[in-house]
Amino acid sequence: MRVAYFSPMPPEASGIADYSALLVPALREHVDLTVVKRGTKRPPRGSDLGVYHIGNNPEAHGWILDALRRVPGLVVLHDFVLHHLVAGVTIGRRDGHGYLDAMERGHGVVGRLLGHGVLDKRLPPLWEARPEEFPLTGEVLSLATGLVVHSRFVEDRARAAGFAGPIFRVAHPAWPDPGVAPAEIDGDPVIGSFGNVNQSKRIPQLLESFARLRSEHPRARLLLVGPVSPGFDLERRLQRLGLSGDGIVREGYVDERRLWELMAACDVHVSLRSPTMGETSGTAIRALALGRPLVVSDVGWFSELPETVALRVSVGADEALELEAALRLLAGRPEVREAMAAAARQLAVGEHALAAVAERQAAAFETLAGGRAIADEVLGDVSAAAAGVGIAPGTPEADEIARRLAEVDLGG
Amino acid sequence: MRIAVLRPQVPFARGGAEIFTDELVAELRARGHDADLVSVPFKWYPGARVLTQAFLWRMLDLDEADGRPVDVVVATKFPSYVVRHREKRVWLVHQFRQAYELDGTDLGQFGPSPEERALRRRVQQLDRLALREATQLFATSPNVAGRLERSTGLVAEVLPHPPQALPYRVAPSQGFVLSASRLDRAKRIDLLLEAAALEQGLELVIASDGPDRKRLEEIARARDLDGRVRFEGRVDAERLAELYATCSSVYYAPVDEDFGMGPYEAFLSGKPVITTTDAGGPLDVVHDRRTGLVVRPDAAEVGRAAAWLREHADDAAAFGGAGKALADEVTWDRAIARLLA
Repeated sequence: MRVAYFSPMPPEASGIADYSALLVPALREHVDLTVVKRGTKRPPRGSDLGVYHIGNNPEAHGWILDALRRVPGLVVLHDFVLHHLVAGVTIGRRDGHGYLDAMERGHGVVGRLLGHGVLDKRLPPLWEARPEEFPLTGEVLSLATGLVVHSRFVEDRARAAGFAGPIFRVAHPAWPDPGVAPAEIDGDPVIGSFGNVNQSKRIPQLLESFARLRSEHPRARLLLVGPVSPGFDLERRLQRLGLSGDGIVREGYVDERRLWELMAACDVHVSLRSPTMGETSGTAIRALALGRPLVVSDVGWFSELPETVALRVSVGADEALELEAALRLLAGRPEVREAMAAAARQLAVGEHALAAVAERQAAAFETLAGGRAIADEVLGDVSAAAAGVGIAPGTPEADEIARRLAEVDLGG
Repeated sequence: MRIAVLRPQVPFARGGAEIFTDELVAELRARGHDADLVSVPFKWYPGARVLTQAFLWRMLDLDEADGRPVDVVVATKFPSYVVRHREKRVWLVHQFRQAYELDGTDLGQFGPSPEERALRRRVQQLDRLALREATQLFATSPNVAGRLERSTGLVAEVLPHPPQALPYRVAPSQGFVLSASRLDRAKRIDLLLEAAALEQGLELVIASDGPDRKRLEEIARARDLDGRVRFEGRVDAERLAELYATCSSVYYAPVDEDFGMGPYEAFLSGKPVITTTDAGGPLDVVHDRRTGLVVRPDAAEVGRAAAWLREHADDAAAFGGAGKALADEVTWDRAIARLLA
């Protein structure tokens, strides 16, 4: 079966590019897969299925949405909130009407009015201020013949948004532990946070909690790795909390190898998020592969991590206190860290194992590409047999047949 | 207890699963249960027929029969476990192997078209749904249980069953190698014939029948094995027991077999078994130089193994004896007690 695969790929700096670089070789064990060049407008001739990786970044995914509009197919939905993507392919291309239409489609006349407010610069951009309230996923869902999602969170929202096609929930694959030597970072424990340094990664709450933790664990170090987002004054916050000394280790954007070295140096990984766009965290997956305990926000995909591998912190008024309690527990109880580390490794080689994930995605591709024809054949065969003995549509006998077919998912 | 044993039946075919289910019914009755066999014809081609034929099982109403409840159903192989019942116990002989480990091999069924790929996935999905409904899940061998877990994530308890009831006995070897497997490609009788072609003096008795018989007879003729290979066809129980008792060894080397009663039948006759490293289930009981010889699936190696066992009668008897001790442990009393626990 021939699959045309639309995805950002390295060297693009994108988590989804990294994801596809990991997964594509394993998928090729199952299907004849062609990764199309960036900008390709439609699947190559002879393709049985187009697979479109859709995320919220218009730079990485705008061209993929364009291709999906031409030829519908299976969408791997990495984020449920697509407001930034939609804004990028409308306003970003000087198509204000397209943005207004998308807002109206998703949120009615009120949405259109809000869209006008954004276009007229009377309202701050909604994709920055309130994206989770206006996900703008409608067009993608209407074009998708099926969805691959990584979480129940996204599956539930897609259903709530009215998507009636098949949804295949397949875990994010785990990278194999590369076995790198940990970076030399002194601290007991070393706590790491990776990714953009900003409000939505809950860095203010993390810094506040860590400052309090240091009063009891003065040797604790916080490793902050990633670029500081515009407008986020990290230095001032560190000074205010008395963390500008040796408590914090900073690195900006790092390459893949350095990322693993730094992650391996951590005793605990903190992966916080709010609001969530429904995304999966590649760094959290890497932490599982390395066998490191996680502290996560109790939102979206993060909430679905088993309690054995991740301590969950609710977002809200008590967030910093809950986070502090989680960090205290892990800092003071090495045996808890060890138990969580073992469970993390187990999860990485189990549900998140690359081969298993590739097999499940290939099953999704194959089921979607040929499943309709098979369902039709089964239903045709059964209904012909029923009609042959006088069972007419709408009779109790026909209803029972339909019920039994549905029980074993043969009902089309 | 009122028990229905469920068996898909390929009309006119008879093999290990048929023997197993017949004997299970007989053994249940012997222990005072009201047991009966429920059989539905099965055809797995063309196209989506594999699913529509499987669906027939779903339409059966086995909650009761003739006004009296059926307490337990025991499903055995695909697709009998698609049946509905409040007490569905599955004693898995095998899944639809073409949808799993045989896919992409010469023994596979589904081609590369999107429709055939989707059909294979539908069979897998049907397995997951139907097997999840089982109130108890047993597998006839570790190999079957392993495949089940890999394909569905479901864990089955391994519960082997004894081989068919024959008047087993131990007697001196008359020097021939016996194959009593059904004659189809997966049983790989051609490898034994090629071994005989390479190993002069090797004599074979093929005591079975099946769709591959004509091809095998042609191989025997082409290799000039006339006089050294005897195709006896299907033989009665007495004759089969006699052949087991008087052979020098039993050849049993299917491709990744589920369980295979062949080794147990050989062992109960005190004979060693020749199998191959890729035979699957038989490797659970055929241990190299303890209960038989395990060689690579190569005609020369099979030939040398057969000749060695013929020429080392004491070792062969010791291997067979060790096998018999294993086979004696597998009894219907134990199996049924577990099945109905």
